[in-house]
Amino acid sequence: MTTATDAPVRPRAPRAARAVPLTAARLLRIELRRGAMPWILPLVAALFWFDSYRPSTAMPPLWMWRTFWNMGQGHTIVDFGPFVAGVAAWMGSRDGRRGTADLVRAAARPRYATQLTTWAATAISAVGAYLAFVGVMFAVYAHQGVQGSPPWWWVAVGAAAVTAFSAAGFAVGAFFPSRFAAPLAAFGSFLALAMSSQTGFRSQSGWALILPTNSNGNYQPMSGIFYPYLPDLPIARVMFLAGIATAALGLLGLPAQAGGPSLRRAAAVVTLAGVAAAGTAAGLAGTARPGPHGMVIPALHDAANDRPIRYTPVCGHTAGVPVCLNPAYRRYLPDVTAALAPVLAEVAGLPGAPARATQVAGRYSKGEGGGGQAMTINGRPPVLRMVLDSLSTLPGSTGFTAGREATTQFADLIRLLSVHAFVSAGNGAGTPAQRAVQAALLQGAGVPFAAQPTALAIAGLPPSGPSTGNGPGTASGPVYAAARRLAALPAAARHAWLAAHLAALRAGHLTLAQLP
Amino acid sequence: MTAAGIHRSPPEATPAQAAARPAIAGARLAWLYLASRRAPAAVGLLAALGAVLWAALHWHWNIAGGPAAQQVVPLVIETGAAAVVAVTTYGPFGEPERATGRWLPYLRLGAAMLFTAAAVGALAAGATGGYLPGGTLAMLRNVAGLAGTGLLAAAVLGGAFGWAGPMAYLLVTESALAAGWTTPWIWPARPPHDRGAAICAALVFAAGTAVITLCGSREHAAG
Repeated sequence: MTTATDAPVRPRAPRAARAVPLTAARLLRIELRRGAMPWILPLVAALFWFDSYRPSTAMPPLWMWRTFWNMGQGHTIVDFGPFVAGVAAWMGSRDGRRGTADLVRAAARPRYATQLTTWAATAISAVGAYLAFVGVMFAVYAHQGVQGSPPWWWVAVGAAAVTAFSAAGFAVGAFFPSRFAAPLAAFGSFLALAMSSQTGFRSQSGWALILPTNSNGNYQPMSGIFYPYLPDLPIARVMFLAGIATAALGLLGLPAQAGGPSLRRAAAVVTLAGVAAAGTAAGLAGTARPGPHGMVIPALHDAANDRPIRYTPVCGHTAGVPVCLNPAYRRYLPDVTAALAPVLAEVAGLPGAPARATQVAGRYSKGEGGGGQAMTINGRPPVLRMVLDSLSTLPGSTGFTAGREATTQFADLIRLLSVHAFVSAGNGAGTPAQRAVQAALLQGAGVPFAAQPTALAIAGLPPSGPSTGNGPGTASGPVYAAARRLAALPAAARHAWLAAHLAALRAGHLTLAQLP
Repeated sequence: MTAAGIHRSPPEATPAQAAARPAIAGARLAWLYLASRRAPAAVGLLAALGAVLWAALHWHWNIAGGPAAQQVVPLVIETGAAAVVAVTTYGPFGEPERATGRWLPYLRLGAAMLFTAAAVGALAAGATGGYLPGGTLAMLRNVAGLAGTGLLAAAVLGGAFGWAGPMAYLLVTESALAAGWTTPWIWPARPPHDRGAAICAALVFAAGTAVITLCGSREHAAG
C-alpha cells in the first residue's frame, strides 16, 4: 500500500487533450475521403476552361488584360460558387436526410464539432481545387509569356469567396435537410452572383465596390506594370467574405441540439463577429475613393503600395526620334515605331515637334478598363508622352476584333492621338481650325480622310464632321473642306504655313477662314 | 417484426375484385415510387417556381444589359425547374431496388415524363403573369432540353447532383449569349420557331430520358 500511495499520479489530462486533435484529424481525413466535392470537380474544370480561361486567350498578353474577365469581373467565382454551394448543402443536409442526426448527437463529440469537420473537409476540397485550377491557368499564362505581374490579391478574394459559398451552402443544407437543398443553394448562389454582376456593372462607388464581381475603378491596365495592384479593396472583400463564412458557420451552433450552453454561446459570439466583420468591410468599401492607380480605402491604405515599379525601358528609333516603352510592351515596339514614323516625318522641323517619344502610365478612371486619356507633348526638348494602357485596342489581339483590323486601328489611333497632342487640342475635340489642321496632318501621315471619323470615335473624341446618329459620321463639312485645302498645298508650302501659324493655332486664336 | 399488416384474402372475394387487384397494385407501386422520389415536395417546388415566374413577369423583374442579361430571370427559373426534375431521379434504396424492381425502367420513364410535364405546366401557368421572351413554345423547348441535361447529369454524377447539368448548361448559355453565339445547341439563344434548336433540345431530352430509363441515376458513397 505504501508503494501505491507513493506512486506518481498518471498524467491523464494531457493524454486526453492530445487525443482530441488526433480524433478531429482522423474525422477530417474520413470526411475528406467521403466528401462529394471530387465528384463535381471534373464538370467545374470543364466550365472553368470554357468560361474563365478560353475567353481570356483572345486578350493582349498582359496580366491585367488576360485576367480582366476571370479575376477582375470574378468569373472564376461564378464558375465555382454555385457548384460549391450546392455540394456543401448536400453535405450539410446529410445527417438530416439520413435520419441519423440523433445518433450523431449521442456521439462523443458535440454535433457542432462534427458539422464543422464535415464543412472543413468540403471547404478544403473546394478551395484546394480553386487554387489548383487558378494555378494551372496562371502557369499557362506565364508559359505564354504574359507580361506584368499576376493579381495575387484577387486570387485571395476568389479563395475567400469559395469558402463563403461553401459555408453558406452548408448552412442551407443543415437547416433544410432535403435532397432539394443542394439545387436550392446552387441556384440561389447563381442568382446572387448574377445580381452582384449587374450591381457591379452599374455602381462605381459606395458599398457595391465590396462585390467581388465589380471591376469598376479597381482593375485597370497600369496595375502590375507601372504600379502594384492596390490591395485596399481586395482586403475589404476578403474581410467581407470571411465575415459571411463565419456568420454562416456560427449559425450552425445556435440550435439546442448543437451542443452545450457554453458552445452555443460561443457560436452566437462567432455569428455576431462574422456579421460585424462583413458589415465593417462593406462600410470600408463605402469610403473608397478612386486614386491615380487604384481604389484607395484610407483606413487600409499603405503608402508603400503607391511606389511605381522600377523598370528599364526598351527603345527603338523612327524618323530619327527615340521611342521608348515599358518592357512589358516590348512586343508592341515595332508597331508603335511604324505607326509614329509618318507622323514624326510630317512634323519634323516644326516648332514643338517631339524629340523623343516615351510611354507613360495612364490614370485610373471610374469605369471599367480605363481608357479615354490623351497623349501630351511637353518639356524641353519636347517629349511625346504616350498612354498606351488606356487604348481600347492593341495590335495582334484585343478580344473584340481580329488581328489585321486591330493592327490598322492601333496605327490610326496612335497617329490620331499624336497629332491631336501636336495641335494642343487637349482632352476635347479642339477648335475647328485645330481639327482641320489635325485632319490634314493625319491625311499626310497615312490616315485617309474617310477613315478619320472611325478613328475619332474609337479614341472617344467628338466627330469633326456632321454626326450621323448611330455611326462615326462622315468626313465632310467645313472642317474637312478646310483640311482638304490645306492637304492639297505642296508639302513645302504647308510646312512653311504651319511653322508660321502653329503658335496661334495652339493658342486657339485661328479660325477656319484663316487657313490657306 | 409482426404480422399485423398481413391480410388473408377473404374466401368470398369476387372475380371482379381479383381482376382489379393488379391495377390497384400498379397504382400503389407507382405512388410508392413517386413518394420515394419526394414527388410532393418536387411538385410543390415546381409550383413555387411557376409562381416566381408569374411574379417576375408581372412586376417586370429583369436585368439591364444585352441579350444574355435580358434572358437571365426566365432562364434561371426554367433551369431551376429542370434541376428539380433531375434531382427527383435520386433514389434512397440503391441496389435492393435495382435487384427487385422489374418495373423500375417504366417507373423511371414515367416519373421523368411526369415531372417534366409538371415543370412545363407550372411554368406555362406562371407565364400568364406577363410577356415571356420567346413565349410558351420557347419555354417548352428550353425546359425539355434543360431537363435532358439534368437527366444525363444524374446518370453520370448521381441523382443528387443532377442539378449540376442544368446549372453548367446555364453558365455555358450565358457565356455564349454574351459572345453572340447562334449554334442550335445553345437553344435558348435561338428564336422560338427555330427547327434546329428544337431538334437539339429534343435530342438532349430524348438522350437523357433514355439513359435514365435504362440505367437509372448513378449511386456513390457521397450520398
